[in-house]
Amino acid sequence: MEFQTRKEANATIVTITGRLDAVTTPDYETRVRALIAGGDKCLIMDFAQLDYISSAGLRGLLVTAKLLKASGGAIRFANVGGNVKSVFDMSGFVSMFPIDDSVAIAIGALA
Amino acid sequence: MIKVEHLSKTFGPVTVLKDITVEINRGEVVAIIGPSGTGKSTFLRCLNLLEMPSSGSIHVNGVDILDRKTDVAKIRQKMNMVFQSFNLFSHLSALDNLTLGPVRLLGMSRAEARSRGMEFLRMVGLAEKWRHFPDELSGGQKQRVAIARCLAMNPDVILFDEPTSALDPTTVSEVLAVIRRLTSEGMTIAIVTHEMAFARDVANRVLYMDQGLIYEEGTPQQIFENPQKERTKAFIDRVRSFSYRISSPDYDLYAMNAEIEAFCQKQILPIHTRQTLLLLIEELLQIYPPYLGSAVLDLTIAHSEKKASLEVMVESTGAPANPLESGEQPDDMGLSIIRNLSDRIEYSRVGNKNRLTVLMKRM
Repeated sequence: MEFQTRKEANATIVTITGRLDAVTTPDYETRVRALIAGGDKCLIMDFAQLDYISSAGLRGLLVTAKLLKASGGAIRFANVGGNVKSVFDMSGFVSMFPIDDSVAIAIGALA
Repeated sequence: MIKVEHLSKTFGPVTVLKDITVEINRGEVVAIIGPSGTGKSTFLRCLNLLEMPSSGSIHVNGVDILDRKTDVAKIRQKMNMVFQSFNLFSHLSALDNLTLGPVRLLGMSRAEARSRGMEFLRMVGLAEKWRHFPDELSGGQKQRVAIARCLAMNPDVILFDEPTSALDPTTVSEVLAVIRRLTSEGMTIAIVTHEMAFARDVANRVLYMDQGLIYEEGTPQQIFENPQKERTKAFIDRVRSFSYRISSPDYDLYAMNAEIEAFCQKQILPIHTRQTLLLLIEELLQIYPPYLGSAVLDLTIAHSEKKASLEVMVESTGAPANPLESGEQPDDMGLSIIRNLSDRIEYSRVGNKNRLTVLMKRM
């Protein structure tokens, strides 16, 4: 799992590459907690490069959403496709979180 | 094209082939399947005269190839063979492996042989490796060079003797893709293989060999979906399985995944099916951490080619309890994914173990 961030407009784009599973999610959580503790409040999770997610990864995303909510922030997901989209569908994530077709749309929605 | 009558082969007191009578027609793709040790490879080697039959006859295009006056080298050139173990010349580059036969046996000029050799290497996707020696190539690449070498001899028939058996599972598909291409181009092929899905897919006719005989033959549909004889049914219905034991909460998920992927590749399961299986297994194993400190888990994946089904069974030691109903999961997400990926989930207590059997949905 690779975790990369960049700032665009008022948002922080978090690009996750590879897998979010029982092995990699603890590392993801550590990094995202540091990000939020550092003051980032609007996160856009770009999943264009995410190949695989399991319920362990979904729990990591839930933790992210809760932390952001507590700090008055927001989270949006972009480029959710393939297997990742299937898991989002199965778990009901699609109805719980805003999902956009692209990072640009997500940025626009946060503006 | 090839007519075999009452062929038998004995090695000392052992009779390997009893009484083989079969015809292979031009342009046919004949898959030869069956348990190990039933004479499949010996049969191919007899066709190519790498083994001399003990009795019977083989006619190729009307010529009796067992006649002493027959030019055996010519027969082998027209009925070329691809071996399990590649049999490349290790001191020659990929291209030189391809040019040796045409120059020495077909009397081709070196320039023409090299030009054609490059064409065949290109056809098997290895043109850029022409300078490489066999030791510098992967198993799959070596086998593709061996196939190209075979084609360079202008054969009328190619005999494949378990061409993927010695390969790493990750390279099986690249070799099968090349063979598949040859079948679609009208080449006459006889292939001994354990890749049942491949045989079913590319063959016009399937010979099921058992006990030194062609025990049953038919179209892929007849043999794989409606075999008539008992031993054929038993062979086709067999289930291939993979087992993995987990005895620590700190088990290596990725090492296990790599082994599961290798198993799936061997079964030629599509990538999407593999990924779904890996997800299902990860979710199932997520249920067990409360038990893993004290229990041992045995994971079994069973693949039935006939039913095209995948079943995952997890057996755990410990007190009787359905792990799915333990209530110890942090939420329902994992269970929800498991249910979505499954057609059937069953819990049973077998001996001193809790057994969870999950039939994966066809995705």
